[in-house]
Amino acid sequence: MCSVTKEQIYDELRKIIDPEVGFNLVEMGLIYGVDIDDDCNVKITMTLSTKACPLHQMITQWVEDAPKKIDEIKEVEVNVVWEPEWNISMAEDNVKAALGSL
Amino acid sequence: MFNISKDFAPPFKMIEPFFKFGSIVYLISILALLFINSSGSIEDLTVVGWAHLFLLGFVMVTIFGAMAQLIPVALEVGHFSVDLYYVIFPTLSIGTILMVIGFWFMPFLLPYGGLLVLVSMVVFLYETLMTLKATTSNTLTVKCIKVGNSFLTVAIAIGFLMALAIANGIGVNLGKFLPIHIILVLIGYVTITVIGLSIILLPMFGLSHGFDDRYINLAFKILTYSVITFSILKLVGLDFVSNFALISIAIGIGYYFKQLLILYKTRGRKNHDIWYKHIYVAFISLIVSTAFLLIWLFSGNDAFLKSGVWLFAIGFIAFVINGHLIKIIPFLVWFERFSSLVGKQKVPMLHEMLPDRDVNFSFWLSLSGLVAAAFGLLISSDSLFKGGVSLLSFGAIFMVITVIYILNFKPEDVKDV
Repeated sequence: MCSVTKEQIYDELRKIIDPEVGFNLVEMGLIYGVDIDDDCNVKITMTLSTKACPLHQMITQWVEDAPKKIDEIKEVEVNVVWEPEWNISMAEDNVKAALGSL
Repeated sequence: MFNISKDFAPPFKMIEPFFKFGSIVYLISILALLFINSSGSIEDLTVVGWAHLFLLGFVMVTIFGAMAQLIPVALEVGHFSVDLYYVIFPTLSIGTILMVIGFWFMPFLLPYGGLLVLVSMVVFLYETLMTLKATTSNTLTVKCIKVGNSFLTVAIAIGFLMALAIANGIGVNLGKFLPIHIILVLIGYVTITVIGLSIILLPMFGLSHGFDDRYINLAFKILTYSVITFSILKLVGLDFVSNFALISIAIGIGYYFKQLLILYKTRGRKNHDIWYKHIYVAFISLIVSTAFLLIWLFSGNDAFLKSGVWLFAIGFIAFVINGHLIKIIPFLVWFERFSSLVGKQKVPMLHEMLPDRDVNFSFWLSLSGLVAAAFGLLISSDSLFKGGVSLLSFGAIFMVITVIYILNFKPEDVKDV
């Protein structure tokens, strides 16, 4: 049984900042889900704010690396999806307020 | 879904000269306006020389530099041979300088400059065409790149013929080919390229989602058929009928503007940063210039033609390019110098790499200059035009300072932001 919690994974993902908007991926609402199996393998489902994001590969690499900073984590799989399409309503209120969308 | 890997991205040292040269030529082209009488016509070689300095040295050089970076993003494939951009930059920049000197002082240089520009464009078109062959994508952006580059091919062939005619007096009807050349370049290449890139860049920077994109597709089709129709009608001498193609171009731009309003309404990022301000000016200028050109078409009042062309060239093209330079260059510098430092040390956000004071000076001085000079042209006041150009010159100086500041931004500067 893996003792790592989803919240620990989210905490690591919160350290990844999108340099264009200046917010972390979790508060942007770009992380759709985190699953941890009994062997401490992690599967992260996420999206990006645009399909044309030039940092696509770099950001998914950061997401893959982030949970590995927790010792017990073994494999990390990142699944980038485009459905549902991201929109600003998925972001946390502080992001919406900062972007003038609240 | 696609990945833009670091392998697809061209080396920073390859793109940097395009943006440096482009922004310096922008400044020089604005300063040059101080020595050009605003009563000059489009057939005046001083004006023609200025147009080539601005369009080749600033617009084309900057677009080509941006294309080196954006084509992999837009087409979802790597470049056929990105190293060809090492050929494109020197041939285009030296060719432009020779052509401008040719127009202004030494006509015998025109064919040499023209030939170098032709070589640079042919290499650019070859690289783009071969890259296009590898893509399976058929988005609006891909269509715009295909059509825009086809128009550019015809435009440069006509341009080269005209350069030969001016230098060596070969029998080419300049009065017939000049309007075709202008429409092919300004609408066929520049505007259609802007349309193709804007459907990627505007939603990306403005965080627009779930919008109806039928109007931009309609605008693309109307502009494409209008440019073809205009060129054919002019070629066969049906000058009056070709005016209907110009009206059709205005309708196409109207549909594009409708799309811009939809993107504006659906944007997630509602705070107005300096990029937004540039974009507002650019697209308002586009619609006002279109209105002015229609008024000219129906009234024959040349003041509206000049003011409309001015708003199109400086208000639309220069503002849309400069607005995107201050988004794209920080990204390129960040990607080159900071992406590998993520997680190891503090890295800047992209907006922190902008010198706020300088970029704001640039915007407000340029906007004031744009409006003053447009009024100057409208009321045929050369003094007001020159006053506007003076303000614009200071704006251009601050733009160059901004570009150089971003290009020189180093990891050790992070602590200062």
